[in-house]
Amino acid sequence: MSRGFSWRKVSTEAQLLLVGIPVLLWTLIPVYHLLLFAISQRDSATSGRLWPADPTLQNFGIVLGQKHFYLTHFWVQIGNSLLIAVATGLITLFVATCAAFAISRLKLRGGRTVLNLALITYFIPAAFLAVPMYKTMANYGLLNNRWSMILAMVTIAAPYCIWVLKQASDKLPWELDEAARIDGASPLQLFRLVYVPLMVPSLVAVGTYALLLAWNEYLYGFLLLSKENEIPLAVALGNFLSADDSPWELLMATGFIYALPPAAIYYAFKRYMVSGLTAGAVKS
Amino acid sequence: MASVSFRNIQKAFGKVKVIHGISFDIADGEFVVLVGPSGCGKSTLLRMLAGLEEISGGEILVDDRVVNDLESKDRDIAMVFQSYALYPHMTVRENMAFSLKLRKADARATAERVATAARILNLDALLDRFPRELSGGQRQRVAMGRAIVRDPKVFLFDEPLSNLDAKLRVAMRAEIKALHQRLKTTTVYVTHDQIEAMTMADRIVVMHDGIVEQIGTPLQLFDHPSNLFVAQFIGSPAMNVFKGTLRRGDGTCRVEAQGIAWPLTEREGGREGQPVHYGIRPGDISLVAPGEGIAAKVVVVEPTGAETELVLDVGGERLIVVLHGRTEVQPEQTVGLRIDAAKAHLFDEGSGQRID
Amino acid sequence: MNTAAATVATPGPARRGLSSWEFWGRALVVPYLLIFIAFVLYPVGYGLWLARNPSSYAKLFDDPIFFRTAINTVVFVLVAVNLKMVIALGLSGFFVQSRWWIKITALVFILPWAVPSIPTILSVRFMLNPEWGVINSQIFKLTGLDGPNWLNDPTLALGFSMLMHIWKSLPFWTLIFVAGRLAIPGEQYEAASVDGATRWQKFRFITWPSMMGLYFTSTILSMIWTLGDFNSVYLLTGGGPADLTHVLATLGIRYLRLDQLELAMASIVVAMPFVLPLVYVMMKRLSK
Repeated sequence: MSRGFSWRKVSTEAQLLLVGIPVLLWTLIPVYHLLLFAISQRDSATSGRLWPADPTLQNFGIVLGQKHFYLTHFWVQIGNSLLIAVATGLITLFVATCAAFAISRLKLRGGRTVLNLALITYFIPAAFLAVPMYKTMANYGLLNNRWSMILAMVTIAAPYCIWVLKQASDKLPWELDEAARIDGASPLQLFRLVYVPLMVPSLVAVGTYALLLAWNEYLYGFLLLSKENEIPLAVALGNFLSADDSPWELLMATGFIYALPPAAIYYAFKRYMVSGLTAGAVKS
Repeated sequence: MASVSFRNIQKAFGKVKVIHGISFDIADGEFVVLVGPSGCGKSTLLRMLAGLEEISGGEILVDDRVVNDLESKDRDIAMVFQSYALYPHMTVRENMAFSLKLRKADARATAERVATAARILNLDALLDRFPRELSGGQRQRVAMGRAIVRDPKVFLFDEPLSNLDAKLRVAMRAEIKALHQRLKTTTVYVTHDQIEAMTMADRIVVMHDGIVEQIGTPLQLFDHPSNLFVAQFIGSPAMNVFKGTLRRGDGTCRVEAQGIAWPLTEREGGREGQPVHYGIRPGDISLVAPGEGIAAKVVVVEPTGAETELVLDVGGERLIVVLHGRTEVQPEQTVGLRIDAAKAHLFDEGSGQRID
Repeated sequence: MNTAAATVATPGPARRGLSSWEFWGRALVVPYLLIFIAFVLYPVGYGLWLARNPSSYAKLFDDPIFFRTAINTVVFVLVAVNLKMVIALGLSGFFVQSRWWIKITALVFILPWAVPSIPTILSVRFMLNPEWGVINSQIFKLTGLDGPNWLNDPTLALGFSMLMHIWKSLPFWTLIFVAGRLAIPGEQYEAASVDGATRWQKFRFITWPSMMGLYFTSTILSMIWTLGDFNSVYLLTGGGPADLTHVLATLGIRYLRLDQLELAMASIVVAMPFVLPLVYVMMKRLSK
């Protein structure tokens, strides 16, 4: 229907731009500022400029080389973040996949109740669970052990994952299970050879969700872990704040590095994430 | 020997009883079709045989062995589903080999059996494709191939042709029948389409509301339906049926309806004045000159090429007549009907039972 | 075809008791149940037990910080959530338009949600620094005046916390609403166009009725989660100045850090009469 130029079309595009440009600005300003600091020299960082006098990548060099006493454990800490995130992702995937399979395909009696329990846990804000969780981990003797954070993250991530996987499982045709049973499959064979291969896109979405949740988490790391070489990077960044003369540009450079993996993973798995996670939201 | 027996089978879903005591036997190598309208229980019965539904009462025997408590995989049956139920993430070959793989069968023997089945069903070229790349008919054949590879005692088919278009259905019917003639495996086939039943079955089991209405060969059901339901269910177009009163006397039997005497052969059953249903198939009525038979007005003429279907009005009652070939008859014309009394059916009005 | 490999399993005795399907149904749900018992049930029970002493609540209500916190929390939740939802609803209409540059904008728009809070919230915190932050520096350059001490004014500080919260969570809800809009059949809009409906009328009579349920469910869920937003306040203001911008989520942690465990638990329990009804409503709506 392109009739070429028309005032109505221009007006529509203008209106859209009127929305789009502020949205872009609003979204990017904090990120831009983060980058601004990260590529500024020590002194000019705090000069309040909109663009650094002499932009430099040396801050990243300092961070990656651990050449500042605030950063002596950078690699261990980013390693901790990675370890906790990956462990959370894998364990949550395991727990949630088994539970969703049992509830959806094996038609576990009482499956609804388990699902409801999971939902309730999902809705209660994690910050409220943090205080008793802290004492619980202390009672279990897990404080200052990275497992405390991994298990806490699994607890928080699993409910939503179970729910999403169950919704996705319900879409698989029943006849597949029946055909497999007639072919002679045992429950575990059905799980391994039919269910899991067909659920791969949802599994990717759910595993990534749990992984990112753990990587991005601050509060629980802050409460449960405190030793310099055991804290995840998020907590280390928070520790920067405690002193007044902290090297802010290094903090921002570290923060930038810290923020890269989630952004990259999100963009890489965008298709899975969006369809996988909003599938449960809009009940059509 | 792979016979199947149903002994007083009952099925209830919660408080709702859907099958009320069904018993019949299937001989080794027989092709039996369970047919009936939606909700009659035929699929449920099949699934109970397959082990996919619990049996509420009665026993099912395969090869003289009670299978009630056996899991599906131990009953030595294979099933072809309406929606084919092919594993989407496996190739055709893997789909067909799956059951053997589960039993950890020898790889070479598996390959042999898959190849044989593929050859029988013309699937050789498709073995490495995925189900999503196949047409409906091809998928159906893969589903059958999967069943054949199992070499089971009984084949079960659950409305396998319902998802196919009309032409394909006709072709697949012939293929399934040919397969049965070749393999001679006992087959239980469920469909709601009575044409499929008539063309494929050795014997048909007509079901309705959870009971068996009649069991017999296709021609038995066609020529001697034992009740009104079977009479009207089997045969297309359906049998013409209308109410009337049975008259005896002057040594002849006839039915009075719309003020006309409809011919019957002599029979023992039935009393004078009994309310009855009179049935005559569209193909058993012929047209004669208006004065020589029962008067009827032509309403619609529907030529289908090889035949002509006529809708006629007799005293307010609609009748359908199927003629071979063409006719000159036009709507609004009056014609005469001649009925072969030997082909007329009589049913009690209350019970619907056949009166012989 | 001979039976080279396939065998008929020798018929075992009638399988009464647990079939292997029932067994694995239960077994596979055990890992989650263990996690639930160890890390939800126990902490919740323990927390409630810690909060059993009525004198904790008396102490809590006596603390002026608590009163201020309660108000902050109510303001935060009501204002931030509703503002966010309205914007998300509007933006969802923007993002369903098919232009290539809108798709790119959408990709960028997701960033706040995908990346961790710390770097971005700290970035804003530095922007607001009264001496050397970008904002005040630019204000000075343009007007020669000193900009306000943003985070030292409790109202402004709380406002900026809310802004950060919206910045972070807006993309998620916008995405949800986009999915909701896409579920509406296009033909309805086409039919409305033929009938001569304006854009506003289309929204009012087609979009809104379809989205209403989703909007309310999302609002309720967002309220519950906003109650638990620790980062937006803690990382921006630390609860300051002078503990004036605390919300419930940060207050509990504050008491915990001061080793006043019972007060921490009491402050959380106090929120429950507001949280639990919302959770109940969510459960009813979702677990149909």
